[in-house]
Amino acid sequence: MLEITLSVKNKYIDKSKEFLDKYILLILIGALTAISIVYFVTYLNNGLGLAYNDARSHLDIGRRVVEGLKPGLAQLGSVWLPLPHLLMVPTIWNDYFWHSGLSGALQSMISFVATAIIIHFFLKEMGVSIFGRLVGVMVFVANLNILYLQSIAMTELLLIATMTAGVYELYLWHKNGQILNIIKSSFWIMMASLIRYEGWFLMLYAGVLIIIEVFKRKGFKSAEGTAVFYATLAAFGVFLWFLWNLLIFKDPLYFILGPFSAKAQQDQLEAAGVLITKSNLLLSIKIYLYALFYNSYTIPAILALFGAILYWTDKKIKPGLKIAITALFAPLMFNILALYLGHSVLFIQGISGTSWFNVRYGIMMMPSISIFIGYLVSRIKDFRWVIVGILLFITYFAFSNYDAVTIDDARVGSSQKNVSEVSGYLAQNSANEKGFILVSAASHDAIIFSSGLPMKRFIHEGTGAYWESATTSPDSWARWIIMRTNDDNDLVWRSVSRVPAFDNYILVASYPFADIYEIKQELIGQLHTEPVLGKQK
Amino acid sequence: MKKILGTAFLIAFVIAILVMSVKGNKGYPNSSELVSLSWTDDGPLELSPERGRFALTYSLVENNSVFFDIDLARFATPDLGYYKGNYVSLFAPGVSIITLPGYYLGSYFNLSQVGVYLSIALFGLLNVIIIRTLSARLGASSNAGWLAGFTFLFATPAFVYSGSLFQHQISTFLILLSSFIVLYSKKLWQLLFVWFLIGIAFVVDYPNLIMMFPVSLFAVIKLIDVWSKDSKTYVKFKVLGITTLFGALIPLLFLLWFNNESYGNPLTLSGVVTRVQEITPQGEPVDRNVIVTSVDDTTPANKSATGFFRTRNTLNGLYIHFFSPDRGILFYTPVILLGILGVPSLTKRNKNASILLISILTLNITLYSLWGDPWGGWAFGSRYLVPSYAVLSIFLAIALSNFRKNLIFIILFIVLYIYSVGVNTLGVLTSSRNPPFVEIANLELLSGKKEKYSYDRNLEFLEANKTKSFFYNTYLNRLISAQEYYLYIYLSIVIVTGTLLTGLLLEKNK
Repeated sequence: MLEITLSVKNKYIDKSKEFLDKYILLILIGALTAISIVYFVTYLNNGLGLAYNDARSHLDIGRRVVEGLKPGLAQLGSVWLPLPHLLMVPTIWNDYFWHSGLSGALQSMISFVATAIIIHFFLKEMGVSIFGRLVGVMVFVANLNILYLQSIAMTELLLIATMTAGVYELYLWHKNGQILNIIKSSFWIMMASLIRYEGWFLMLYAGVLIIIEVFKRKGFKSAEGTAVFYATLAAFGVFLWFLWNLLIFKDPLYFILGPFSAKAQQDQLEAAGVLITKSNLLLSIKIYLYALFYNSYTIPAILALFGAILYWTDKKIKPGLKIAITALFAPLMFNILALYLGHSVLFIQGISGTSWFNVRYGIMMMPSISIFIGYLVSRIKDFRWVIVGILLFITYFAFSNYDAVTIDDARVGSSQKNVSEVSGYLAQNSANEKGFILVSAASHDAIIFSSGLPMKRFIHEGTGAYWESATTSPDSWARWIIMRTNDDNDLVWRSVSRVPAFDNYILVASYPFADIYEIKQELIGQLHTEPVLGKQK
Repeated sequence: MKKILGTAFLIAFVIAILVMSVKGNKGYPNSSELVSLSWTDDGPLELSPERGRFALTYSLVENNSVFFDIDLARFATPDLGYYKGNYVSLFAPGVSIITLPGYYLGSYFNLSQVGVYLSIALFGLLNVIIIRTLSARLGASSNAGWLAGFTFLFATPAFVYSGSLFQHQISTFLILLSSFIVLYSKKLWQLLFVWFLIGIAFVVDYPNLIMMFPVSLFAVIKLIDVWSKDSKTYVKFKVLGITTLFGALIPLLFLLWFNNESYGNPLTLSGVVTRVQEITPQGEPVDRNVIVTSVDDTTPANKSATGFFRTRNTLNGLYIHFFSPDRGILFYTPVILLGILGVPSLTKRNKNASILLISILTLNITLYSLWGDPWGGWAFGSRYLVPSYAVLSIFLAIALSNFRKNLIFIILFIVLYIYSVGVNTLGVLTSSRNPPFVEIANLELLSGKKEKYSYDRNLEFLEANKTKSFFYNTYLNRLISAQEYYLYIYLSIVIVTGTLLTGLLLEKNK
């Protein structure tokens, strides 16, 4: 019978295994970087890269630090935690980096590669073979939601990377007991605490895990000392944030209670009757699990659960490690708690109305899912190809149907804001004309971004004396005013509509998100068109 | 001799039950008669997949054409295709072709529809035999194998789909037979036959291409040998083995011919032609441009091959298949879940078989959880999971062999089996027309009464002294009530199963 027989010396097979073991990191970094760039370019070219309203706001905040009527660190504000915007500073001065979103996407892209590498190392520490490690990395990477969020100027990937790094070091400390791992863990958790409030929860949760572990090993005194040691660095970011709010806004709790805080937004949503998860634990769990399942394609989440169960029931694994790995569930616990307490809002189409909103929060569990699947593949070796086959099968359908709930949220959900009409008007009518534009950044940052105009053309809440002058005497400062007519939530309307000088403006355009007023032609000559107030404190 | 007699008795018993439960009417109806309610809603051809497939069989035999005449087209609505002025089938042609002999034979006895339905029942019987044989090969005892076969056929919705005109029993047969051969084949011609079965499976139901993937992968792996010797690793590839793939050619060539005849293009699959839901009195389609989601198992809404399989459907799909009262395994066939207990044991004994069976099982569940209509339209139980029931039955045979001395397991098996047989006997003797829960509100608006959607709907049907059993309606309806008929069939299944179980319990340890 016609047969082909090939042979290879076993030493070459061993050598190739050694090669793979030695260079796997480089291979992974190379491949992941290429994937990251390809997807960034794809979403940049198809226009989805800036679809999230929040992405444009993040980029504007970063830009205001380096350019505008009153540049400086104070522009970081209190709406969001500052690290993502600080990381934009080295590149956001460049118009391309600003308007392409690359300044924000760059940190997401680096985080994407880093998280995949951390997953690889995490699995290695769990004793997983190279096959299982690669499967874990594949689960994380072959997810359109991850690939989309790594391509845009949102904070999820940066948070995922820092939290996963923090948990990884915490796990290592539980495994080896080396103090350096606690320092590294607290550093990454501190970074996470400066990105989003999930990081604060992880900080507390990791603290509790450390106390339990040291108490078990060495008793109360040592536990107390280690906890203080851990908290000194881990809570440093939180301390800085309180201090920042005190120094800039004269209230350490301004970010919680201020007019632009999440709480203020949630209060509005509650008044509108759409904060349905508040005080409803079952619904909070259901909504978050739906977000998690939609983001992860469901079957991987179920497989990961089996992996976690196998890990916890493995008698060979030390109890300390079993407890340590629960930190991978911190995002799940935090998000359910936040929904229950009414500190967060998440809409799932078909469950909480007809729209999506913040459904991307469900992506936070992706590293945990990837790690537990990697472990599962390693544990049930007989069926590892079955698991891989099912994962490939799911991935094939997800990719062929462009099944990404985060993109749906960005395109048609409440997380999008198509302001092209109003920003288009500005770009067309004011780009080659002199004069400032008065606008509330809190309400219309997307318009500022999409207009393509320099930040120094805009007078907004963060411009100090310009803002105070323009809201009391607009006809001396603002050639155009952008605001929502008759809406007191719009700070410009709230101020300008009540001053007599508003009569000097005529409505020139009206759009779904805002109206545009322009000063009467005969009064243009009396306007300041240059930043004459000099450097402000 | 005793063994042969026992086997003959069990086969005869299965045949008797299948004959007594198959849905049907006496007669040899023409296309204008088929449209009447006694053949459609109130009769055996109650659901559109059945009508669509029967219409093609009828058309091929009576009209020698793949195009439907107007009466036949009306009969096939709302799952009717329309191509260049002709009404055509919306279904893969395999089932209609395979049941042709049944139609011919039935026509001879003035039972054309019953002949077709009995062809499907025949596959139910063959599946029992394969499950029993494969289980025995894999280490289960003979009694356990028969019990597994009985569980598959009588205690799962597979029972219902052996008494009506659906593709599931045929698909399951092709999957089981090809799995059996691929696991034990040693010759290339056997692999050629496996590919032939894979080709037929595609012609029977397009998603079988995916369902057969594990089998085809095993068939390819069979051509490769890997071994180590003298510090070298050898890989041997049987080049001639590539020719085994040609086994799939015959059925595929037939499909190409059929597509060309029906849709003018060999590569146009039936699922992607324009669907007509209604025909005017003049015989024209109501709206030729209307393309809607077909209730056909293979027709995607957006007319792309993958568009109707979405990961976002998974959560709902899994709920429907496992937990929902309108289709869920927990309500319709909880006994089959005991099969999971046989997985570790089979994996230890025969890793390859276990991997193949688990692959088929997980692929089946995953595929139809991604599917936009996990309910399978109006149906009884989760019909898409019939292949999974068969696979789980094989694992159940192993579990029964292993745990036959475990009282808790045996009691659990008895209780769940009796319950599951009760439910599925109800289904096979009454109707498969159970609406999904999501349609209930609209249905109640139309009917003005409370509508049931689980097997309690079938109970209601039976309580009204109605059954669609051909045998009962033709020979026994004046002698006993439908409820009594149900009870006799149900009890006879339970008694024979009880005998098998007793045999299993009395088996000596190997």
